[in-house]
Amino acid sequence: MKKLLVSVILITGLFASVSSSFSANDCKFQMADMNWPSATLMANVDKFILEEGYGCIVELVPGATTATFITMNEKGKPHVAPELWTNAISGLLYKALEEGRLFSAIKGPISELGEGWWVTPQTLEKYPEFKTVLDILERPDLFPAKEDKSKGAFIGCPAGWGCQLANQSLFIAFEMKKKGWILVDPGSQAGLDGSMSKAAERGDNWFGYYWAPTSLVGKYNMQLMDFGVPFAGSENWDGCVAKGPEECMEPKPSAWTKSIVQTIVTSEIKEMTEVMSYFGKRIFPGSIMNNMLVYMENNQAQGEDGAIEFLEKYPEIWVNWITLEAAEKVKKAL
Amino acid sequence: MLEFFEEFPEMSRVSLRDFKKVIDSAFRSFSRNNGETIESFFDPILWFLIWFEKLLLNTPWPIIILVVAGLCYLGARSWKLSLGSVLTFTLIGYLGMWQDTMSTMALISVATLLCISIGIPLGVWMARSDRVQSFVMPILDVMQTIPIFVYLLPVLMLLGIGKVPGLIAVCVYAMPPIVRLTNLGIRLVDKDVLEAADAFGADKKQRLLGVQIPLALPNIFAGVNQTIMMALAMVVIASMIGVRGLGIPVLQAIQNQYLALGLMNGLAIVALAIIFDRVLQGYGKRLQKGREGNKND
Repeated sequence: MKKLLVSVILITGLFASVSSSFSANDCKFQMADMNWPSATLMANVDKFILEEGYGCIVELVPGATTATFITMNEKGKPHVAPELWTNAISGLLYKALEEGRLFSAIKGPISELGEGWWVTPQTLEKYPEFKTVLDILERPDLFPAKEDKSKGAFIGCPAGWGCQLANQSLFIAFEMKKKGWILVDPGSQAGLDGSMSKAAERGDNWFGYYWAPTSLVGKYNMQLMDFGVPFAGSENWDGCVAKGPEECMEPKPSAWTKSIVQTIVTSEIKEMTEVMSYFGKRIFPGSIMNNMLVYMENNQAQGEDGAIEFLEKYPEIWVNWITLEAAEKVKKAL
Repeated sequence: MLEFFEEFPEMSRVSLRDFKKVIDSAFRSFSRNNGETIESFFDPILWFLIWFEKLLLNTPWPIIILVVAGLCYLGARSWKLSLGSVLTFTLIGYLGMWQDTMSTMALISVATLLCISIGIPLGVWMARSDRVQSFVMPILDVMQTIPIFVYLLPVLMLLGIGKVPGLIAVCVYAMPPIVRLTNLGIRLVDKDVLEAADAFGADKKQRLLGVQIPLALPNIFAGVNQTIMMALAMVVIASMIGVRGLGIPVLQAIQNQYLALGLMNGLAIVALAIIFDRVLQGYGKRLQKGREGNKND
């Protein structure tokens, strides 16, 4: 009996000490600083607000989508992925969400975003008859490929990205080979950006995959094309298009699936109510995000510089995300 | 006053930004105005690369394997190497990497030949003039150390993605060893031997081709080896700017953690490197033996 009492006291003591250490704001975690500008901007804004406003300690860890997601899922670190494009990893993510390992803090931290097929504005000026992707597909001769001028070049998604498979599938679904197109793999983001900005700078025709919000879309006023066909159901998309031609031979033509971007957190963060409520309100309007990205590009700003510019320039947006008290602290720190 | 020592007197943020902007926009307008001319300058190389790749891809595979085995024998005079190359290529084809391997082979053989045919003369020139050496050395240092995408981004803006930028990337990185080692090899040739050659009345050309280069061959071929290895190591980088070949599946594997895919394609790159190298090294050894034989005649 005595023993029991002692152990009860010990255990309660232990618990007390644990809970007290929690209450002493044990807000210290890692956040993924992903290697594209909007994500790194967002990670830096989060870091600044959470550190200055809430006294957290946030360590930024570089990483790309798949690698970040896998380590979050397997190791629980980094604890936050601010801008995770979940289409590419939807299967694994839903499983993790169901099993309660990961949580979605907000769906759509940036409004008005999406992937799709784009052309340069000059192309639309020259050929106003291009209303949809279907119209463009009839004119491969206007987009001659460098290595085979008789074919039209459709610039797909870099090797290994989730969108690579979807682009390969749609290339088949729209029978583009038969129509005289080849699918060019740009190899990396640098390759994709390079090919697009080269065309946009010179006013050449360019047709390929890209996404917004991005500085290049803002800078060159790239035009997203309507696919001319409706979205053919999530069964076709998730079950076939996204799996790629090796797993599914007969994809149906479809508009691009709605891109789902989420802020994903681990269970440790879910316990931090203040942090969660911040993430829950943090939505960047798409137009402002594009402006920010153009600003960063023009000034060759790093994520941190961009974050400070954003916080200074658009207080009316971020004050709504946090408590008054925290907002005061952030303003003071700027 | 103290402040001056504590904080580095750096350029103000605004003027630094403007400075960078000026460089960027200058390059952009340069590429807008001259891009097409420069692109067409490289067109012959592009056509050749495309032609060569098509040739490799359209030739029936048994013929390619036979030609490779034949080249191995011609170069190295070794049945083992020929047999090994036949086995390697059969395995590569069997594992579904034939097309990518042919694309890579096309780019790399052109790149290696280009590097060697520019590199050796440049090395010779450097060896003969200290002035040239002091000028070229730092350029070689830059070529080997500058982060690749730093110069690839402007190249992409000028030439777009594809084979030519890929070739440039490979050559910038792979050429320095052959230049350096040719230079070194020739400089290391014994002064007494050169004096003897002079005493026999050799003119400059005879001295170079008959004495200096043959004696420098071991070094030159070490350079050839390094050039080949570095060229193949660049295959993945070349794929990052849209060159088809073994690099693409490697990139795919890295992004998605496909261990087997990465390993298979990576090893195919290694196999290509080893075959290329052994053929040229075998050829080099025979060259050197031949010289020794002549000496005894």
